[in-house]
Amino acid sequence: MAISTAQLPGELTNRPGRVGLKRVLGPDYRMAYLFITPIVLLVLSLVAYPFTYAIYLSMTHKLVGLPPVFVGFENYIRLTWDGFFQRAVVNSFIFTFGSVGFKLVLGVVMALVLTANIRWRSFWTGVLLIPWVAPTVVSALNFLWIFDGSLGVLNYVLVRVLGVLPQGLGWLSEPGLAMASVVAVNIWRGFPFFGISFLAGMKAIPAELYEAAEVDGASVVQRFRHITLPGIRNIMIIVVLLSTIWTFNDFQIIYILTKGGPGGTTMVMPVFTYETAFGAQRLGEAIAVALYLLPALAVTIMVLARYMRKGRKA
Amino acid sequence: MDRRIRQLAEQVDAHHISRREFVRRTALITGSTAVGLGVLSSMAHAQGPKMRVWLFKSYVTGGNDILAKQVEGWAAERKVQVEFDWATFGDREQKFVAAIEAGNPPDIAEMNYQGPLRYRPALRDVTKLAKDLAAPRGGLLPFAERVAQLNGQYSGIPRLVFGGGLHIRKDILAEKGLKMPKLYDPDVLDVARKCQDTSKDLWGFGQTLNRCDDGNAFMQNILWDYGGATWDKDGKPALGTTYLKENMAALQFAVDSIQKHKVQPPGVMSWTDVSNNEAYMAGKLVCTNNGASLYYAMGARKHPLYEKTQVLLTPGGPAGTFVASNPYCWGLFKASKNAELAEDLVRWVEDEKRFEEYMTACAGQAGTVYKTRAEHPYWKSDPNYEGMLQNILRGVWNGYPGPLTPASIEVQAQYILCDMAGRVVVGGLSVEAALKEAHKRVEEIHRIRSRA
Amino acid sequence: MLVTLALVVLFPFYWMTITSFKSEEQMRSVVSMFWPKPIVTENYHQLLSKTDFAAWYGNSVFVAVSSTLVATSVGTIGAYALARLRFLGRGFMASATLITYLVPPSILFIPLYAQMRNLGLANSLAGLIAAYPSFTVPFVTWLLMGYFESIPEELEEAAMIDGATRFGAFYRIVLPLSAPGVLAAGLYAFTQAWNEFLYALVFITDGRLRTLPVGLASFITGDVYGWGYLMAGAVLTTLPVIAAYIYLQKYMVEGLTAGGVKG
Repeated sequence: MAISTAQLPGELTNRPGRVGLKRVLGPDYRMAYLFITPIVLLVLSLVAYPFTYAIYLSMTHKLVGLPPVFVGFENYIRLTWDGFFQRAVVNSFIFTFGSVGFKLVLGVVMALVLTANIRWRSFWTGVLLIPWVAPTVVSALNFLWIFDGSLGVLNYVLVRVLGVLPQGLGWLSEPGLAMASVVAVNIWRGFPFFGISFLAGMKAIPAELYEAAEVDGASVVQRFRHITLPGIRNIMIIVVLLSTIWTFNDFQIIYILTKGGPGGTTMVMPVFTYETAFGAQRLGEAIAVALYLLPALAVTIMVLARYMRKGRKA
Repeated sequence: MDRRIRQLAEQVDAHHISRREFVRRTALITGSTAVGLGVLSSMAHAQGPKMRVWLFKSYVTGGNDILAKQVEGWAAERKVQVEFDWATFGDREQKFVAAIEAGNPPDIAEMNYQGPLRYRPALRDVTKLAKDLAAPRGGLLPFAERVAQLNGQYSGIPRLVFGGGLHIRKDILAEKGLKMPKLYDPDVLDVARKCQDTSKDLWGFGQTLNRCDDGNAFMQNILWDYGGATWDKDGKPALGTTYLKENMAALQFAVDSIQKHKVQPPGVMSWTDVSNNEAYMAGKLVCTNNGASLYYAMGARKHPLYEKTQVLLTPGGPAGTFVASNPYCWGLFKASKNAELAEDLVRWVEDEKRFEEYMTACAGQAGTVYKTRAEHPYWKSDPNYEGMLQNILRGVWNGYPGPLTPASIEVQAQYILCDMAGRVVVGGLSVEAALKEAHKRVEEIHRIRSRA
Repeated sequence: MLVTLALVVLFPFYWMTITSFKSEEQMRSVVSMFWPKPIVTENYHQLLSKTDFAAWYGNSVFVAVSSTLVATSVGTIGAYALARLRFLGRGFMASATLITYLVPPSILFIPLYAQMRNLGLANSLAGLIAAYPSFTVPFVTWLLMGYFESIPEELEEAAMIDGATRFGAFYRIVLPLSAPGVLAAGLYAFTQAWNEFLYALVFITDGRLRTLPVGLASFITGDVYGWGYLMAGAVLTTLPVIAAYIYLQKYMVEGLTAGGVKG
């Protein structure tokens, strides 16, 4: 397509100096930099700068109402040997991997259910997405009420209606049970995200593959294992990594349901950060808590970012 | 498709000024956003001649309302604008930290016993005001005095101390022919076992060890009841050393009351300050320790259990009966520009007539901090109030038998004792190990707070 | 299976709604668990007259709408630049945007709070509006990048051949065509801002300035037996999100699947 420069309107005409700049900065640089400026400013001021400040603060002792005192790595060292911190880390891992594992399975189930032959598919899709859309705080408060030891409906159903238990359980006050309960709430809230992503992925798998497999005599299970799963493999990786990051840093659910109790058995790192900052009032140490697993987080983010960008280019 | 593009192209042709227009519009949006934010910011911080007052939202709503009304009365009288905010059991400390760190604390705030020493760096010296108020009122009672000052310098003005006690179903006890309990072990346990009926979801005793004000107070008291303590006479950490044996016995009892004796309802370890109130009012508990708010709540709602409840002295242990006192104080902040007004406000609401109005609306929660107020006839008007008053007068200060220090306050503020109990009940630690672990944390706090 | 899932998903909301219509006595006495008897509206009255709920609602609306406007305007143009325009630093900016989105609030909340304080925006809604773009904008940008990429470049090229500027092509062709995507992105931004908890908890101390999530959570320790009006508040807080969601569900799902995760 030969286009003579005479036909192009003003902006696209090449002037001598501008050709040089265009070569270096790209042909659309003026409009691009204009469009990009807000985001750049944002990233710098709301993420890059606070992040750097956070690293500095984590190396100080900061008590309320007093200025920070630089202490190097003292906070990190102290935390490493602190039993409460160690338990928070362990709990974070348990909470995250427990939740993500089940969300993965439930998400696949949801996607399969929605790709089957059902009426009013978009209606059901909408219904199943509701936990993801509703405010987390509402869901958490809801479950706090449902799990209530003396007046909650869960105990009521189990004891009075179904009679499977002699008396109510302390869903949020028994050690193992509390963790199971918060994991359950996280799963309830999060599985639709998995489901809808897998649904999108499954829709992108060409129908011919399934038809061909069926012709070749493959069973439902085989079709699932060899066509569906590989087909959504990329999405699965992205979604799992995303959810891992989100779940690991989830604050609301545990803060509202147990505040990390009972006895610290559901204490996870984000809540521990908050507690150290505003409960124990040691702000420097609190940030050290938050940044402690930064390397692991950074690696996860890098890997995830690469997959997401790869997915985009597909 | 072609036609549409052609149409679009024709439109674009006619708008060669689109770039300039865009730039103009962007600038407009950005500019107005900036202006808007600026306006918002100044709106948010319109610091006129206004008093910011933080009150504590206790469960005794009648008292809260009266205090608010009195402050408003003062404001009208002095022609000052007042802006209220309320702190609750759940967010009280966080509010203070956030506000102090942000450099904009209120002018005056109602704080609990932890406040004056915890936030000392940010609080104004109110020694003169404290002495002025105490003189005509017979002086401050010892536990209140200790909480508000360090080395004679007052950073808080005590206002009241929470009354409370063991709320017990006297009807059930009468039915079973039992006497009122005096000691936890064996009396309370005995009453609990004999009166409870788990098939009807009625439990003998309700006492959480969770991180809340109720659990915190109980843990402090029980250590003393068994002859133990967190600190020794010189104010050094003693949790896992000097008083190890006694503390072990105390902690063992606390833990046993949940695990071994089976007299507490399920879920008790996740209770917040409000849970035992709710459980008792739902008829699920035979007895529970609580502040006057429980008695008040039943009275206010004309609850059927109101008549059936007696409020006793908090039970004790082998070494005696000790009750930690919880005086609430006024704190005036250094950053405030209205120091004189704030002091004036304190004088106004502490006036005896107004305090009387407040006190009678509080059903025993507004316990006295001054000697003269203890003789007020109000405390004789209901046998239950008598019990509450006795509880107050025996009040022991945080840090006993040592002095009250920022470190001892901090240990309570961080719920170290509750955590310790939690580690045994929930974490499976042995009593001794939990004590030693908590002792290390106490030492750490002692080190930090002695330095500051 | 579908029915089971649907029940599990919907029951809590049913429960929340009927609780909001139960009287305190009924809740205490555990009578007629699954239906209010009698149906009372006192919880809603108490919520609106005796608490700061109405103020919180206004605060949330203000913050969420402002955040949405900021996020969609910044995100739309940013996404277009990253998706279409050729310039130095494009790949880097795209990655940076993505990484910004992935940095969790639980790391940033303390330093961001300190920053807002230094700017004099602590304890103000402006502080929230200033901080929320840190997660709304990257998400909107990422979403719209996908959307813009799905629009064939030929349309813009054709327009430019016919005399349009690069910007004109964006403004007259791409933008109208991606309206559903922008709408979906805006809705997401609104939802994220409306539901946000941690920053709102930490930045705002004044009771009246709170947003809904923090305000609702404060009911737990605020009073005895607050469940009734707490649930009433929860119902009212969820309604706008659900309503908007029902209305625009098609667009949301489309937007998420088209622009979000691709594989």
